Amino acid sequence: MNETIASRDTVVIDEGVHDVYRILTEGGDALSVPFRTMKDVFMFAAALGYERGEHRPLTGKRLTIFRWAQFTPQTDIPLLKCLAIARIGDISVLLKQDDLLTTAEEYANAGIHELRRSLLTESGQPLWNLVALLVSQDNG
Amino acid sequence: MIKDRVANLFRDYDEDVRKVIAAVIVLEQEHISMERPRVKDAIKEIIDEAVQK
Amino acid sequence: MKLDRITLENFRQYHGKQRLTFSKDSKRNATVIHGVNGAGKTSLFLAINWCLYGEGPSNTGELMSKEAVSGAREGETISTSVELAFIHDGERYLVSRRLVGVKQLDGSVPVANLDDFTMMRTKRDGQAERVNNPIGRMNSILPSNVRTYFIFDGEKIDDFARPEENEQVRYAIYNVLKLEVLERGRNHLQAVANEYRKELKNISRGELHELVEQEEKALDEKQKAILRKDQLEREIESARRKISDIDGRLREMQSASGLAHQRDILDGELTKRQSESDQLVSNIRDLATNGFIVIAQSAVEKALSVLDGKRERGEIPSSIRQQFIQDLLERMQCICGRAFDVGGEEHRRLMALMDSSLPGSLEDNVLDTAAALRPFSERAQSLKDTLDRSMQRRAELFDIIRGLEEQLDDVSRQLKGSPQEEISRLEKQREDFRADIESYKLEQGSLETRLESLALELAALKKKIDAAKKDQTKEDVLTRKMSLAQRSADAIDQMYQTFADEMRERIEAKTKEVFKLLIWKDSHFQDIKLGPDYKLDVIDRYGLSARPDLSAGERQVLSLSFITAMSRVSEEEAPLVMDTPFGRLSSQHRNNITEHIPELADQLVLFVTDEELRDQARANLEPRIGAEYRLEFNRATSCTEIVEVNS
Repeated sequence: MNETIASRDTVVIDEGVHDVYRILTEGGDALSVPFRTMKDVFMFAAALGYERGEHRPLTGKRLTIFRWAQFTPQTDIPLLKCLAIARIGDISVLLKQDDLLTTAEEYANAGIHELRRSLLTESGQPLWNLVALLVSQDNG
Repeated sequence: MIKDRVANLFRDYDEDVRKVIAAVIVLEQEHISMERPRVKDAIKEIIDEAVQK
Repeated sequence: MKLDRITLENFRQYHGKQRLTFSKDSKRNATVIHGVNGAGKTSLFLAINWCLYGEGPSNTGELMSKEAVSGAREGETISTSVELAFIHDGERYLVSRRLVGVKQLDGSVPVANLDDFTMMRTKRDGQAERVNNPIGRMNSILPSNVRTYFIFDGEKIDDFARPEENEQVRYAIYNVLKLEVLERGRNHLQAVANEYRKELKNISRGELHELVEQEEKALDEKQKAILRKDQLEREIESARRKISDIDGRLREMQSASGLAHQRDILDGELTKRQSESDQLVSNIRDLATNGFIVIAQSAVEKALSVLDGKRERGEIPSSIRQQFIQDLLERMQCICGRAFDVGGEEHRRLMALMDSSLPGSLEDNVLDTAAALRPFSERAQSLKDTLDRSMQRRAELFDIIRGLEEQLDDVSRQLKGSPQEEISRLEKQREDFRADIESYKLEQGSLETRLESLALELAALKKKIDAAKKDQTKEDVLTRKMSLAQRSADAIDQMYQTFADEMRERIEAKTKEVFKLLIWKDSHFQDIKLGPDYKLDVIDRYGLSARPDLSAGERQVLSLSFITAMSRVSEEEAPLVMDTPFGRLSSQHRNNITEHIPELADQLVLFVTDEELRDQARANLEPRIGAEYRLEFNRATSCTEIVEVNS
């Protein structure tokens, strides 16, 4: 892929939301555990965060949950770039891996709360709640 | 020398005890003119070394 | 320690630099320094103590030579110092203490520094080096707390023999014979042991044991759960076989075979549909997981508009154009073929074009990103559509499955209601077995969940156990340290009294030996006793304490005996420096002492008045004198000069 300037290759979350990530990925039952990996949860949370127009800088203790290498070049990375451009507007950000990560992390830090609310606190199986969330998206 | 006499005094004790006492005595002698010598840290070092063996 | 040479500079009544060399000979080991009272014996004696230990008047001005001060001009620096060279353990030491002051207009000389104390050591190879911890070194050679027993003032000679002076005797033994060193060592080791003990209390104890127990319990439960799951599996197997048997029998029975057959078909269909439904759920999950591209649609659109905008405004030249410009620059030739010069108009124009475009990597990045993002909206839509269809199909399957289940129930009902008792009975049994299977499966499910959480529990426990093991090691090391410190303190404690007693006995014996040597021959004293109460006593021929009856002279001899005994027993290898020791003795005593005293020390330095050392006493000492000096006091200048006496 194109070269970028990077000083870190780990993705971090706030320690306080780690339990949500765990609940959504631990276990074998597809209905109650709708995501396979932490990266999947992260991407969803980041997208939700942007969509709701919220982002939260990480303030507390940080936890590394996965590495840059987990991101797929066809889908994940373009989306990270997309979030950064959509927010910052300056295309030089495409070369700065750190900024891409930070932007996504801050959106995810907000979106994770929405994700938890929609999937875990509503009644019904998390997987169906997730589907409902998607289906209700009103895109032109 | 009194030093030898003192060392001999503890001949029936374990080697590590003898080593420690010998080192402590030299230390205390060096500080004998002081009212309240600060030797505790040095003593801890002596013990540390003896325990490493 | 053996004194070599002392050099005084402007010290009290010693104006200028004056030097005195002590005798180091082993036979002629006495150095005698004569002086009338007031000539400067005491000052010289003080010089030794001041140099080695800083002992002296608190007003250091009193140490400076008045002659030097008055002779100095305003602004002139005056230096007062004492330098002492001595030999110890085969090495030469040079100790010096110095005061420096500048004379003021008013005649005063404020001292510029607290006295400057240095110690140099000459190694065997001749190199001199500065000793870093001079006080510590002095403490190892001749500590200040015992110096008064070696460098002692004749005035104090009485001190040990007076009845009320047990404390002095005890104190002397305590210090000279290292008892204080032992006691301090014991106390400090005990304090260190106590500190370790306290530290140990703070480390969590016994936790490891508890954690291991917890781990065992969890493993046990895990084991049981696995066994139970297996058992359930066998039960399910067995129930299934029984159902299969029943099915077989029903198929054979004429009035039941039709329904049995129908059931077979329905069962097959149901299984197919159920697995289809399971697969569908899995697909839905995969779709949903990637569904974030649906959510991110608005972000994608915004980003594309930004990227496209830049491109349209020409801020992102195509890579072809960049490469083209690059080529031209390299060839220094225009597209029309005309060459151009470096620095020329054309060149500058092309360079400007290159500079204004973005770095190649960013440009590629932008294009690639835009290219990757463009299909997103279609992908999102396609995902949504697929998701819709899958959910629809799931709903359909749900209905189908329900319908099949209803039909199966119906078959069962019909069989149960059969007029043939056998059929009805078999069907009821079958139903029971199916209920059993269901409850087994339920139990299996909950065991499965329990096993999953046990796995997490065990992982967490393992982490805790590893940490506790680390603590345990820390604990072990600390325990060993504490034990060693405590055992060492205890050892000193146990042997202290033995050592003290041994020392006391040796002093007693030595004092007696010396006393017998120094007292006149027809004395009626039988023995010297030094009891556990540290009372120094003389026993007469009646076995009674003769201390109350001692004359002043006899008391002084006893004291002197004690001091020299200490010097010998301590094996300190220190010189005996005495200031007017014979002043108060009778000539008889003096004669006796002077005959023997050089034997009692390796090096003897005596400060004497002429009165003290006369006639027989002088004659006795004569063969042992290795160096002799006279202190000559000049009344006019109030200064003393050290003059060597050659015999």
